[in-house]
Amino acid sequence: MASKTKAAAAKGGEVLTYNQGTFRNSALVRQQTLAAYLFMLPALFFFVLFVVVPMVMCLVTSFFDYRMGKPLTFVGLAQYVKMFQDPTFLKALQNTFILVIVAVPAVTAFSLWVSSVVYQFSAFKRSFFRCIFYLPVVTGTVAVAVVWKWMFNKYTGLINYVLGATGIIHENISWLGDARFALGCIILILFTTSIGQPIVLYIAALGNVDPSLIDAAEVDGANNFQVFWQIKWPQIMPTTLYILVITTINTFQCYALIQLLTSGGPNHATDTIMYYIYYQAFKLNDYGYGDAMGVVLAIIIAVLSAIQFKVTGSGATD
Amino acid sequence: METSVKSKKLTPGKVAVDIVLFLLAVFFIFPLYWIITGSFKDRVAVNANPPVWFPTAPTLDNYQRLFDNPALLWLGNTVLMAVAAMALTCLTAAMAGYVLAKKRFPGRALIFSIMICAMALPKQVILIPLLKEMSFLGLHDTLWAVILPTVGWPFGIFLMKQFSETIPGEMIEAARIDGAGEIRTFVSIILPMVTPGLGALAIFTFINSWNDYFLQLIMLNSRNSLTISLGIAKIQAEMSNDYGLIMAGAALAAIPIIAVFLAFQKYFTQGIAMGAVKG
Amino acid sequence: MKKQLSLLLAAGMAASLLAGCGGGTSSTATDSSSASTATSTAEATAESTTASGDGLTADITMWTYPIGKFGDAETVNSIISKFQETNPGINVTVEYLDYTNGDDQVTAAIEAGTTPDIVMEGPERLVSNWGAKGKMLDLSDLWTEEATADIAGVSQSVVNACKGADGNYYEYPLCMTTHTMAINKDLFEAADALQYINEDGTWTTENFQKALQALKDSGVDTTMIVYCGGQGGDQGTRALVNNLYSGQFTNPDHTAYTTDSDANKKALQQLLDWSNEGLISYDAAAQASDELQLFANGTIAMTLCWNASNQAQYASSVTFTPMAVAFPSDDGVPELCGGIWGFGIFNNGDDNKAAAAKEFIKFLCDDETQGPESVRLTGFFPVRASFGDVYTGTEDEARMAEFAGFMQFLGDYYPVTAGWAEQRTAWWNMLQQIFTGTSVDDAVATYTETSNAALASASA
Repeated sequence: MASKTKAAAAKGGEVLTYNQGTFRNSALVRQQTLAAYLFMLPALFFFVLFVVVPMVMCLVTSFFDYRMGKPLTFVGLAQYVKMFQDPTFLKALQNTFILVIVAVPAVTAFSLWVSSVVYQFSAFKRSFFRCIFYLPVVTGTVAVAVVWKWMFNKYTGLINYVLGATGIIHENISWLGDARFALGCIILILFTTSIGQPIVLYIAALGNVDPSLIDAAEVDGANNFQVFWQIKWPQIMPTTLYILVITTINTFQCYALIQLLTSGGPNHATDTIMYYIYYQAFKLNDYGYGDAMGVVLAIIIAVLSAIQFKVTGSGATD
Repeated sequence: METSVKSKKLTPGKVAVDIVLFLLAVFFIFPLYWIITGSFKDRVAVNANPPVWFPTAPTLDNYQRLFDNPALLWLGNTVLMAVAAMALTCLTAAMAGYVLAKKRFPGRALIFSIMICAMALPKQVILIPLLKEMSFLGLHDTLWAVILPTVGWPFGIFLMKQFSETIPGEMIEAARIDGAGEIRTFVSIILPMVTPGLGALAIFTFINSWNDYFLQLIMLNSRNSLTISLGIAKIQAEMSNDYGLIMAGAALAAIPIIAVFLAFQKYFTQGIAMGAVKG
Repeated sequence: MKKQLSLLLAAGMAASLLAGCGGGTSSTATDSSSASTATSTAEATAESTTASGDGLTADITMWTYPIGKFGDAETVNSIISKFQETNPGINVTVEYLDYTNGDDQVTAAIEAGTTPDIVMEGPERLVSNWGAKGKMLDLSDLWTEEATADIAGVSQSVVNACKGADGNYYEYPLCMTTHTMAINKDLFEAADALQYINEDGTWTTENFQKALQALKDSGVDTTMIVYCGGQGGDQGTRALVNNLYSGQFTNPDHTAYTTDSDANKKALQQLLDWSNEGLISYDAAAQASDELQLFANGTIAMTLCWNASNQAQYASSVTFTPMAVAFPSDDGVPELCGGIWGFGIFNNGDDNKAAAAKEFIKFLCDDETQGPESVRLTGFFPVRASFGDVYTGTEDEARMAEFAGFMQFLGDYYPVTAGWAEQRTAWWNMLQQIFTGTSVDDAVATYTETSNAALASASA
């Protein structure tokens, strides 16, 4: 499947190299395999030690009643059963899905649009806009949350001030304290803090599209639209896939904004699974329950990522 | 190489796009503007209603209070942490990403699948086990405790794999036919090709590490090993919204990030040039 | 290329070396690496040994939440040097927690086994959270007969609050206060509403309503806010609800949450009615710190979250006269929530350090000159009758007298009830529900059920 995009890249051809095809010598294959492992080694060292080990510990403890100050007891699937009877968890799951369904397409589409406009600008203007859209990331979540919290404030906030002054609203709205608006506000802030990275990546990827291909297509009489979808789009596919997967994961794991702005309120309207996991593990010290929810969240994300790999046609596993 | 040359003509569509981009730019700049101006406001002005748009009587008081604490040490810690995480991640991820994209070896699919699953696992749930591990290794309350998990996180490998996939196979083959060894192929063929990816990865890792507040919070305690964002949180009094201080801290913390961002910009441009040469 | 590979190998070896040295002492990590400039002084203390003779030798650490000047490094360092004049062998390192993140850091330290020796906070954390979970040392030997009698002389409820359900003392208290409300005196004067407040700062529920009406009539847009955007400062909303019709938050022996009593439900209904009539406001996005800021700005006429320390903190930024008042109560006799702060010792399995920690606590709390000085640093009141008025002759004398008058209204100290953390979240969620259309009965039922279930499971 990987070769589909490569074929479109015209120069690609068969990309998986010389331990197949003409070089079938088994000594060479062994040497190649050894080289591959050696190249993987440093990354695997850190990955196994600091991600896989805690991950396994988390999986194991999700089958235990594991709370601070209580003896560790095996409870089987009890945490998982409890979860699906816990209305707060279900509400959090629902909110998380809303976040993902709205934010991921919005972030991807918007960043693709901005990048496709901006990458054609002069170097200075391109740098300028890339920088601008990256600012909310640069400023750090805590400070950004402080500014937004003030803007959304019911009594002294900028938004009520502006809307009130222009006569659009007559009574102040507690934007983050009103179940009708709170999740929308969180999505807006999440959006502004999420598009920086995709834009940087898309500008880089679009800049890397082979200009001779575009020239050739234009000579053939293709319009802008056709050039984009037939030449550029296939070439930036690996980037798109990365952006989709990463934005999905980050959105699923949205938690700091919730903690800083709403604590999950009002009325659980902005509870996300991540925030609920944090609450169970760090506020109530019920680690076993938190771990179990984490495992379920991981399974959901992994399944969605697998779908994204399939749909974008870039098979991870061939 | 600039495609802008051929689109000089002004159409209503182009003007509309420019206006929208301009408005968006204002919208995205505003928080930073508010933070920087806010850091020069006194306590009354920063909370005033209606808002004080520009500090008419600017004060350095917030910065003074910030520097009454070892703010520079905190900033130094944060830079060290982020740079170490960035360097280690770029090196390990570039190597691993390359072989995952370009070589076949037993276990390749399995390794990559585990990596995707690991990224899917919320960090909050692995924090407690990670904490116990760090404490066991004797690294708790040292900067290593925040650097190593960042390096282990497989985002970088994934990103570099995606970038490496666009490298044409013949280039690698040609190098091999020329008699280049594995390492020379990697250094002289692969690395230049994935420079834009590495530039992006460097920035992302630097900033993710910088902003990974919760990991820092859990792993670091001592006043002398704090990062800047932890330090600022610590000097807040109870029951007060000391926005001026928060904003001064955020402004101070943003300087190194913007510097790194601008420094790595040129790698994107370089990558674009490479792309042109290769064609 | 060779160089790069060897660099890499070196990095790997360094990391595995670090890993190899781990497990025992925790001070190995720093020297070999360029990335860690910060040698952790707190950790480099494993080699502490018992000294010969009578003086203890130990390096101990203390974590303190920002309680008055105990959040200020300079002040605390000067206390430590005074302590070392008599205990030259004991080194104290202090780290400062904040209320936003402090609990998470202590949780992390407990799980990592890197807890400090001493921690400074209140019974809510020391006794009913970490104490109940078996993480604290019994401090019964600090509670001598003389000290117990002295503390009981101020309030028996302080003694009770520091004792866990198992009968062990997990806290040795230093200071206390009552949490009150405050009004914007200028706005009240302009509205001619000061007449509704008694000399001693108390007022009845009936007069409170009249005051709200008077403020509204005089053009005050927002009189007060029932904030429920999180748990910050929730003692204010609890005290308001409990006092309006003299309800109780828990039963007397702290084995059940009693917000579902008629008195409390009537109070919640009353708040809802006032809100519907526009007499008061609610904000599900605000916590006490936000509300206090609005009060300090003069936007609202009252705050529910006031005490001597808040007053000192906001004194410089207000342009009006804030005046502390009690929570309104139907019988005019308020029952105020108390705050108690003191010290606890984490059970780190090192007797020598524990002994040294106790010396330091004794110095802070019992020493004839340091004791009262420590209390003054917190900005609150002593828990010991023998200290008398520690503010006599200081510049704070008049200011503190305003708050001292409320001590007589100190009510039950109920934050030691089990299931406290769950209760706190359920509380602000309940308020949010009530103000957004859920009936008081239903919202209160949900709250009581959640809280009492948590209580039962915690004490099981």
